[in-house]
Amino acid sequence: MGEETTALGSIQISPNALASIAYHATLTSYGVVGLAPKNLAEGISATITKIPARGVSVHYNGEDIDIDVHIIIEYGTRITSVADSVAGAVRYQVEKALGMPVHQVNVHVQGLRVSNSD
Amino acid sequence: MNSDVRARLERIKSTPIDGQVLKKLVEAGLTWLRVNQQTVNSLNVFPVPDGDTGTNMVLTMQSAFNEINQLGHHGVGQMAAAISQGALMGARGNSGVILSQLWRGFSRALHNQEYLDGAALVRAFAEARDTAYKGVVRPVEGTILTVAKDVAAAAARAIHETDNPYEILERVVIEADASVQRTPDLLPVLKQAGVVDSGGKGLFYIMEGMLRLVQGEPLDSATAIVQPLSSMVLENTMDSIESGQDYEVIVDFVPREKLNLEKFYSELENIGTSIQVGEGDGMYRMHIHVATDQRYAPIDYVMKMGTITKIGMENLMAQMDRINEKAAGDHVDLANIEPGQIAVVAVSPGVGISRVFASLGVAAIVEGGQTMNPSTKDILDAFENLPTDRIIILPNNKNIILAAQQAKDVTVKKVYLVPSRSIPQGLAAMMHLNPDGETEAVAARMTKAVEDVKTIEVTTSTRTVEIDGVAVEEGHVIALVNGKLAVSAETVEAACLGALEKAKAADFELITLFFGIDLSSLEANRIADVIRAAYPTQEIELQDGGQPHYQFIISVE
Repeated sequence: MGEETTALGSIQISPNALASIAYHATLTSYGVVGLAPKNLAEGISATITKIPARGVSVHYNGEDIDIDVHIIIEYGTRITSVADSVAGAVRYQVEKALGMPVHQVNVHVQGLRVSNSD
Repeated sequence: MNSDVRARLERIKSTPIDGQVLKKLVEAGLTWLRVNQQTVNSLNVFPVPDGDTGTNMVLTMQSAFNEINQLGHHGVGQMAAAISQGALMGARGNSGVILSQLWRGFSRALHNQEYLDGAALVRAFAEARDTAYKGVVRPVEGTILTVAKDVAAAAARAIHETDNPYEILERVVIEADASVQRTPDLLPVLKQAGVVDSGGKGLFYIMEGMLRLVQGEPLDSATAIVQPLSSMVLENTMDSIESGQDYEVIVDFVPREKLNLEKFYSELENIGTSIQVGEGDGMYRMHIHVATDQRYAPIDYVMKMGTITKIGMENLMAQMDRINEKAAGDHVDLANIEPGQIAVVAVSPGVGISRVFASLGVAAIVEGGQTMNPSTKDILDAFENLPTDRIIILPNNKNIILAAQQAKDVTVKKVYLVPSRSIPQGLAAMMHLNPDGETEAVAARMTKAVEDVKTIEVTTSTRTVEIDGVAVEEGHVIALVNGKLAVSAETVEAACLGALEKAKAADFELITLFFGIDLSSLEANRIADVIRAAYPTQEIELQDGGQPHYQFIISVE
């Protein structure tokens, strides 16, 4: 997928590599308590996964890189702000590591975790 | 401390904190954060360096305060619950969300309480910390979270010495300050950029604002700080002069005894505005804007403090007239495009550079550059109304390439992006524009031309930092060659010469110097002469670029 040609040959970056950058950026983002599998077939949607490829999907059509992350958010935080921060952090970290623009980062909030119910 | 002040402080310290007192404290925290908002913004490098931490925290606190502004008498528990609710609804950005979580924990610990005493305050800080840490799987230390943790620990220690909540707050603020100073040791990205954590600093300002209210210190102007002489910005480029700012007065002096800064500032505030105080080598420099009839007042006042060594005075009104005259000359004649021709849109940071672009056939200019990136919409607006569907964009800055790319994606016009990363690259590309050619081929030729030129950018460093093995001190002049930091020097001249050498200018033919608004044409000419002497076989051209921040943008080809 992500491909760059240099004088020495070409560099290819696999979707899994990108997914793990996005995964780490998401997990250090405030308000996120975990990633969730993308769909029911992969498990019950609100169970927290530790495998990056399960909570993040990367699409590359030869031109645009699109990233989808599926997250569980801490109950009591402002969901839109947390999701915004995740999108910003994922885009920034991936673009910084890759040196290529990311077209879209879609954040799917799959569930909330209740630690404290005020 | 005189007896009146001490008596006032004692009286305040014996006032129990009910809902109304908490409201006043929150208001003070918000006010003080707002005053220092730009400072917090400027520190923002983590997690995404977008310079909005201060703004986000202010908006979050403002929303919290709006929620309680109209509330009448309530216990501290109910008031805190409303603050928490308001902060949650207004939480903006990462730091805003964390701040709202801190308030949420803080308020939970005070559930149903009438008053906030020392023990309750300690509990509230602890609960705030715990709640904030629960909101993230992998807490990053060296951030606002760490400061919240240190604050809770300081409060827990303080309760052994005093149960007065105001005195606990006093100790907590001291620890918050120290904790913020330690953040670069915990988070390498901060150390690398030479800053402390922005969110942590914001949290510190909120609590310091509360303490300043208690101690009766002013909240409406930034802290009386002494800055290094080198970082004083004395030449303001203003759009307008407010009344009472007719003269700029700068006085260098050696004080007889140690300056009481708070007092010094407050006396000066009675005389004028835009006050700055700098210090270096045992000498102080005072900068102020005053009305005409007050123009000697700052000199008389400083005379009382010590020995004056130098005085500078400038008539700002006259200076404004010159700027206005110059603005009238800002008109740029852009190229006319026939329907069906290729139109080039270029991003330019200054009017002089815009003129050069126009003379090379650019059809539309978008104002922007390093510190003022145009939005996708700005770029879109520039070409949507041109009478052609064939567009080439020259972003001329690596930070603008993305916005240009997005403009390309959302328009129906046929747009090609030539990824020029600097002004010289953009100009080099323009040399290969053929408005009647086939768009893709023209864009490809222009893209290739981008590589033919070397770019040197000369600017002043705003902080002490080490990048790419070059050690830079705040206030030094730095030069970037093709976007990479190459030279740090004491003067613009030395930075230019060092960078030209690094760029191997002797192997090229033409050196074009675009000087910015921070440099007088006299000084620019003098430096150009020095460069001419150093490079006698190269052709040296000097142009008034009119760009901000960069003393010189230099093209070597």
